[in-house]
Amino acid sequence: MSTPIAYFLVVSAMLFAIGTIGVLVRKNALIIFMSVELQLNAVNLSLVAFSRMHNNLNGQVLAFFSMVVAAAEVVVGLAIIVTVYRRRRSASVDDLTVLRG
Amino acid sequence: MAVDTVVFWVFGPISVGSAIAMLLQRNAVHAALFLVVNFFTIAVFYLVLGASFLFAVQIIVYAGAIMVLFLFVIMLLGVDRGESLVERIRGQRVIGIVLGVGIAIELIAAVRAGVGFARVGPAAFDAVANRGGNAEAISRVLFRDYFFPFEATSVLLIVAAIAVVVLASRRRRLTTRAEVVAQVPDEEAA
Amino acid sequence: MLDLVWLIPTLPLAGAAVNLFGGRRLGTRAGWLGSALVAGGFAVAVAVLLDLLSLPVEEREHVVHLFDWIAAGSFSVDVAFLVDPLSMTMALVVTGVGASIHVYAIGYMEHDARVGTFFAYLNLFVAFMLVLVLADNYLLLYLGWEGVGLCSYLLIGFWYERPLASSAAKKAFVTTRIGDAAMLIGIVLIFLHFGSLDFADVLVDPEAAPGFARPTGYPYTVIALLLLAGAVGKSAQLPLHVWLPDAMEGPTPVSALIHAATMVTAGVYLIVRSHVLFELSGIALTAVLVIGLLGAIYAALASIGQFDIKRALAYSTMSQIGFMFFAAGMRFYAGAMLLLVCHAFYKALLFLTAGNVLHGLHDETDMRRMGGLRAQMPVSAIWFAIGALSLAGIPPLAGFFAKDHIVAFASTSARDLAWVLASVGAFLSALYISRPLFLTFFGARRAEAPAHEAPRLMHAPLAVLATLSVVAGAVLGLTAEGRLATFLEPVVGAAEHGAGAVSEGLLVAISVVLAVAAVALAFWVWASGRVDWQAFPERQPELAGWLSNAFYLNALYAWLVQHPGKGLGRTLTVVDDRVIDRAVNEVGEDVGKASELAPVIQRGFVRGYALAFLLGAVALLLILGLRS
Repeated sequence: MSTPIAYFLVVSAMLFAIGTIGVLVRKNALIIFMSVELQLNAVNLSLVAFSRMHNNLNGQVLAFFSMVVAAAEVVVGLAIIVTVYRRRRSASVDDLTVLRG
Repeated sequence: MAVDTVVFWVFGPISVGSAIAMLLQRNAVHAALFLVVNFFTIAVFYLVLGASFLFAVQIIVYAGAIMVLFLFVIMLLGVDRGESLVERIRGQRVIGIVLGVGIAIELIAAVRAGVGFARVGPAAFDAVANRGGNAEAISRVLFRDYFFPFEATSVLLIVAAIAVVVLASRRRRLTTRAEVVAQVPDEEAA
Repeated sequence: MLDLVWLIPTLPLAGAAVNLFGGRRLGTRAGWLGSALVAGGFAVAVAVLLDLLSLPVEEREHVVHLFDWIAAGSFSVDVAFLVDPLSMTMALVVTGVGASIHVYAIGYMEHDARVGTFFAYLNLFVAFMLVLVLADNYLLLYLGWEGVGLCSYLLIGFWYERPLASSAAKKAFVTTRIGDAAMLIGIVLIFLHFGSLDFADVLVDPEAAPGFARPTGYPYTVIALLLLAGAVGKSAQLPLHVWLPDAMEGPTPVSALIHAATMVTAGVYLIVRSHVLFELSGIALTAVLVIGLLGAIYAALASIGQFDIKRALAYSTMSQIGFMFFAAGMRFYAGAMLLLVCHAFYKALLFLTAGNVLHGLHDETDMRRMGGLRAQMPVSAIWFAIGALSLAGIPPLAGFFAKDHIVAFASTSARDLAWVLASVGAFLSALYISRPLFLTFFGARRAEAPAHEAPRLMHAPLAVLATLSVVAGAVLGLTAEGRLATFLEPVVGAAEHGAGAVSEGLLVAISVVLAVAAVALAFWVWASGRVDWQAFPERQPELAGWLSNAFYLNALYAWLVQHPGKGLGRTLTVVDDRVIDRAVNEVGEDVGKASELAPVIQRGFVRGYALAFLLGAVALLLILGLRS
């Protein structure tokens, strides 16, 4: 492979940034969740890139575990969103202001 | 020009572009679909980087299971309606975008300082790390060095499944006022 | 015996402590206890005196050291008492007259609810006064000085529910404070120039004192004038005299003890004690003389214009002390002390008899509503007459000797103007003291209610004082170098009697004639009924006004002090409101406003919290990145 590893890392960084902006700017709970998934994927990508750089498979295995846990997390997170939606009839995160000071 | 370079420069922009597009969608379904595109591009990256097993897992698990689940929920709850564009928190958008860009810049700077833009991966990657093919190599690492985390994740999955069943079930015994109110129009959504 | 001198102030101090804490339970017995303790002090003083007299003349100066008080670097002051002729004279007067007045007060204050506290204050006063006269250094003297000022305030305002009394007490304290502050500066200067505050170091021989600075006229004058300021304040001389007439709001025993016999003479004591310093500065001594003489005449005229009997006596006190200052200013310290001693006797007598009158007329003090009381109060009339004639200078009563020596000294000291003025003063004093005698006890009856004579308990001390008012002069000062003068000589030196223009016999004759003439004039104006003195204020309202308002000095001071004082008060109130309050309130408001900003970060929006997380993360990354 002749592409510098750093390029993949740059892509990963950009994807992570986009995911972050998504978490902050969007109001729909599901889209925020999807942005979080995007962030996770960006991290997985960087893990695999580093694994290539270091010439062992630790990064890949870690990315694998990350995917597994992400799957579990998505399941639970969606269940929560569904429950909240049932109570409040709204998927907008801005309506969940119980923790105010 | 090597194949991987071409692939990178084709799928890189698609990846970033689909991510940005996902961000800009008002409709949740459209956003989910753009995210699926993004996951595909990442799968391709995995392939280029020599992680063929992950390439497959990414498509099967992420794009195939997780995003499908997302789409289920979106359509179940009927939240594909557009959300309002009015930003209630002052400065959130601006500061958010600035900070996001800032993170990107910081990370890129860290990469430049740490790895350097010139470094190419080891030429003997396929021979050393991926001996016997990526799947066998991964299984070698996974079932030997990372065996305990492997078992732990399986427990985690089971626990997650139980949690979801509990969360999603409707408790008819303890009725709060909110639940009563929510129950009536919820009949058709169930 | 000499070493027991510390008992003299301690006994009354113990009495004060007991009466302060247990006075309510003791009731009238507090008075007996207080009197007994002061009498005990007198007995000790007599014993000490006898011991002192047994010593040869050159050795009559004994310091009894009690304990080290202040030791700070080069500044050290001890609590020590000086036994010498001057201090013992004062101590005997204070305890003797004090004990008599205590006994009188038992009867006078019998029906008062706070009689225990009264005697506590009275004892405390005697204790402080004794500290003042027995001190062997300026700081201890100042302690006593301040202490008697405090007790004066407490006692003038004893009936504090009466606004006149409490404001009179404040006035007394504040006015004397002015003098006290100057005196303190003087004491500091003494220390700076002499390196010590002990009388032994400062007063005996300034040239040999440690830390001695080359004597030039300047520091001595300043020190002496500052001490003089303190004396002027405490002794109610011009210009700090305005508190004394108002101080008559206090109970009559207080007026007798503090404002006639003892505290107001503290200034004279200070000057006589510090005469070495005063003599080194000619200006200061002249100032003493002038203040004394002017004050004597001013107060004499003012006394003639007063209708309140106690105020008339108050101005009389000021005038007599003016005479003492006058004598001291002429370096005739023995004469000043003789007058001080005799004055203590007859002025206390006069005040206490006036107390009898008040007691009998149920607190009526206006002489226009008295008159002809000798029919109902014959014994009191006799006492008052003795006291008045003694003050007037009728021989052979005590006052004659005291006053005559001073007037004669003035004539022999080549100060003719002073002699003339002193004689005028003597004439006026005879006049002003006969006036209340005749207004109260003679002439037509103007009182509405019947008056009753005082109980016997209150007459006993009066008898003692009357006897002393008769004989003290002849015993102590038959001649200008009489017993008291010789006794005091080691301390004050011998007075230089020059040869006068007029022979001594002629001087005595002139004095007697003046005194008798004044008494006769007073009788004719106020007692004989041939002069319509009651119409005087209407016929000559201006002159009457000047006299009864003591030449409007009070009003002048009020205008001079109160106006700027009120203006300053108003300004400061504005500053306090607009500047200080505003600053404080604004701080509070700012805190409130700041706290209103805080909830901005806690509005409950999850995305806002997420933003905060990110902000922190980015900042952290930045720092870490920049560091490496």
